[in-house]
Amino acid sequence: MFESCYRRSLWIVLLVAFGSLATACDEKLSDLAGPSPNLQPTFASVQRDIFEAADAAGRAACTNCHSDVGGRNPSGGLNLRHDVAYAALIGVASRGKAGAVRVIPGDADNSYVVQKLEGAPGIVGERMPRTGGPYLTEGQMTILKRWIATGANND
Amino acid sequence: MTVKRLLAAAALCAAVLWVTPAHAQQTAQPAPPAERDPDLNLNALQPDFTISSLPTTLRLPRYKFDFRVTHRFGRPLGQGDFDDLLADFFGLDSSALIGLELRFGFFRGTQGGIYRLNDRTIEFFVEHSVMQESESHPIGLTAYAADDGTNNFTDSYSPALGAIVSRTVGRLGTVYAEPIWVNNTNPLPAEVVDHNSTFMLGLGGRFRVRRTVYVVVEAAPRLAGYDPDTTHWTVGLEKLVGGHMFQINFSNAVGTTISQIARGGTSNDVFLGFNITRKFWR
Repeated sequence: MFESCYRRSLWIVLLVAFGSLATACDEKLSDLAGPSPNLQPTFASVQRDIFEAADAAGRAACTNCHSDVGGRNPSGGLNLRHDVAYAALIGVASRGKAGAVRVIPGDADNSYVVQKLEGAPGIVGERMPRTGGPYLTEGQMTILKRWIATGANND
Repeated sequence: MTVKRLLAAAALCAAVLWVTPAHAQQTAQPAPPAERDPDLNLNALQPDFTISSLPTTLRLPRYKFDFRVTHRFGRPLGQGDFDDLLADFFGLDSSALIGLELRFGFFRGTQGGIYRLNDRTIEFFVEHSVMQESESHPIGLTAYAADDGTNNFTDSYSPALGAIVSRTVGRLGTVYAEPIWVNNTNPLPAEVVDHNSTFMLGLGGRFRVRRTVYVVVEAAPRLAGYDPDTTHWTVGLEKLVGGHMFQINFSNAVGTTISQIARGGTSNDVFLGFNITRKFWR
């Protein structure tokens, strides 16, 4: 009797422990991404959901200005058209601010693109998008910065 | 005829009177004395199921209940000057993180319960006593599992697995070491963080300073994983009164569930709080 009780209680502990692990439910990335629910910390997603697309909050697409489509001059010399954007960002010096680098792999906070999007002190010109907002949300910035922090891979 | 009936009735009565005592004697045979569950006894060196927030190895008797209420007042004691503190009655005027806990002994050595906070976090937990400290075992060992979920256990879940090791220190008290892994401690999604779990080592002790008065200390340094802010710690003073334990405590955070403890405490603020527990068999 005692033995079976003991065994049963042990099983309950194991089952609850297993259940605890099974219910491990992380926060959803889409909740963090907010108005860009499909945004992922990858270059393909950043290109698709931030550079080339407006979002549900009304933020303008970056390529409205930063593109050479139609023979325009990309604003600030930064062309974010999808087939040249990666090469235009990674390790490339900014034209707007001497010494600033657009994207420094592994260093999101010192990447000038991040500083411009956050409106950090010391930027030259306006915070982006220059439409005066809506700007990228904190969650969208977290995902963008995660892509840079993990190496800004062309993934 | 009447005599025969009287004789028959007398015989029947005699038979009943003869049989009944014999039957009664059978059922009234002294049963072997029921073994009293030793978990029912007060363990003066380990009188409660938590130190302040961290669990202990105390066993809850089978089919018995224990109830606990916790308060952690949200006003940092260091805010403003002493007059401000007095005006706020040492923080008691501020809002508090209040928890209600009910635990139950499912089997001998196995207990579980539910703990709900007024921030809508609900924690379920279960503990199984693997080994009790004795002459042959130098330590007590309890397996521990818990899972808390925010928004009434519907949003973000943080399961935890761990062990509680206890050792009495003479007649002074009991010390504890509690390696516990807690998943999903980081409030951000796993995709954007380096660490989403925390491995911590709960350390604590309950020390008997008078017959029914104890000093409690606990801290939970994070050894690996997500470790924002500083180590969560609590010190307290408590009084055992019958089946009640009254504790007043000071802590550097208001969180009391395992995942909240794993997320650490503040580096400068201290908060006032109290616990009251009631054992329903004493």
